[in-house]
Amino acid sequence: MSLLTVDSLDAGYGELQILYDVDLFVDDAEYVTVVGPNGAGKSTVMKSVFGLTTYMGGSIEYQGVEISGLDPEEIIHEGVGYVPQTDNVFAPLSVRENLEMGAYIRDSVPEAAFEQVYDRFPILRERADQEAGTLSGGQRQMLAMGRALMLDPDLLLLDEPSAGLAPDLVDEMFDRIDRITDAGTAVLMVEQNAKEALRRCDRGYVLVNGRNRYVDSGEALLDDEQVRRDFLGG
Amino acid sequence: MITYIPAIAQPPHVLSSVVDRVQRRTRLGKHGWAVLGVAFGVVLLLDLVRRLLSGDLTVALLVGYLWNGLTYGLVIGLAGVGLSLTYDLLEFANFAHGDYITVSAFVGWGAAYLIAGFGRFDPGSLFFLGVGGTLYPGDVGVSVTTAPVAILGGLVVAAAAGAVVAVTLDRVVYRSMRGMDAISLLIASIGVAFVLRYLTIYVFTQQAFGLTVSAWTYGVALPGGTVNVSAPTLLLVASSLAAMAGVHLLLTRTKLGKAMRAMAANRSLARVTGIPSERVILATWLIGGALAGLAGFMIALLQGTITYQIGWTLLLLVFAGVIMGGIGSVYGAIVGGVLIGLITRVSLVWIPASFTEAMGFLIMILILLTRPQGLFGGETA
Repeated sequence: MSLLTVDSLDAGYGELQILYDVDLFVDDAEYVTVVGPNGAGKSTVMKSVFGLTTYMGGSIEYQGVEISGLDPEEIIHEGVGYVPQTDNVFAPLSVRENLEMGAYIRDSVPEAAFEQVYDRFPILRERADQEAGTLSGGQRQMLAMGRALMLDPDLLLLDEPSAGLAPDLVDEMFDRIDRITDAGTAVLMVEQNAKEALRRCDRGYVLVNGRNRYVDSGEALLDDEQVRRDFLGG
Repeated sequence: MITYIPAIAQPPHVLSSVVDRVQRRTRLGKHGWAVLGVAFGVVLLLDLVRRLLSGDLTVALLVGYLWNGLTYGLVIGLAGVGLSLTYDLLEFANFAHGDYITVSAFVGWGAAYLIAGFGRFDPGSLFFLGVGGTLYPGDVGVSVTTAPVAILGGLVVAAAAGAVVAVTLDRVVYRSMRGMDAISLLIASIGVAFVLRYLTIYVFTQQAFGLTVSAWTYGVALPGGTVNVSAPTLLLVASSLAAMAGVHLLLTRTKLGKAMRAMAANRSLARVTGIPSERVILATWLIGGALAGLAGFMIALLQGTITYQIGWTLLLLVFAGVIMGGIGSVYGAIVGGVLIGLITRVSLVWIPASFTEAMGFLIMILILLTRPQGLFGGETA
């Protein structure tokens, strides 16, 4: 059984349907990316898994439990973490307070949880008492991931982690995600930077007009003539 | 999802666009107004020195104005904290806040009378402050020094009443409107304000009630006279400072307070982080309502009288303080409130008492022309 299984999902916002019959799965500790042109519904897939869209049909199972229709708060309890694309830190709160909020659903936060995040992103330890709003774009992205990792989720949802980063920081960001998956956390990632994402991931989905188009290992998709021509710019 | 929020639904933006327009029309930028404001301040300061030296104004009188302004300002600030907190989290200006102040002040003073006159008078007459002329303050004899237990009890009951009123009205009215645009919420709050006001009139009539007998007062001798520091004002200063310190500790030290700041800063991120928004909103109403209750009890104590308009009259100054401090900032609300209090009292040096509140608004406009976001604007909670 897979960690996450999305089966024939229909979803959207209010009356507007974006996803049609989408199938997708993520295995334990697997690194899966969703790519596709703008408006294909990539982010909508991720938001649907996290309970942020209007559910219209199909099923979303996480560790064998149906989670469609649950609130984000309940889905966090199930062990899923989500990092939004932008505006993903609480600017007036300190770095440490941001991390503390990540573990809000726990009654008390063990110091070890902070230490684990600080070990992964040492810059956050240095800046622990600084307001998150004063961090650089790359540091904010680390803080946002750190916050989502505070509860040590089994599945981490990343919405375009490279968005808004300076080009020389993008590689570093992908390296960090590699280390997260190496440590045993499964990742479902939506990325604009399709080539790099497919190079790094285990499996990739190509989504077009809210429907599945291709699914294969990242390398196979990169090698596919058709995929290259239509979606990766040759 | 994109929610369309009409520009007019965001009071600070309306205000800043007005401010923009004034700046453009007058061809004076931010800095121009700042220079003008500072020049105005310097002229007033020089005039103040001249008056002090020439004896037109005694030191005692000036210190008296400052002390009165501080006590008045602390009440305004206290009421402003609640207004600012709910504005910050729910993104609407609660016009019923003034009537929360009124209702909880009446309940608090009813409780104070009940405690002070228990066994000596009919409980019903006591709780309704002798409405219709069945009881007079002189009979019961309530003051900070003659009946401290009654005053402290009343203070606690007023805070509790404010919290209950705020939470109840959220459950009944505002909760079903969660996520609606700010203008609808604002109009609903005006409706709530009227309901509370007319309920107050229904129970307590439009009568003005004298509340207290004179309390112990300490005269501080200064050149040109004495400044009277009364027990009620000391209680007021002590309890408002304690309440403000409490709010500061709550916001910076507790998980709930941090969640309130987090939610105020970014509601959708708070949601995906797993912060239970309804619980945080409930706590915010509780705290804001309790502070409104405290402020209501205090302003009645300070004035020695209470009418059904006590909170509404205060609300305009509370808004001025909150806007001046930077709407949405708790510390701004406190500083803005104290400034408004000081301005309205110290301006007595130059203008008659009936114009002093206008002076408060004038200075608020001057500050906004220089700093459209308010003194502490841009920083949340």
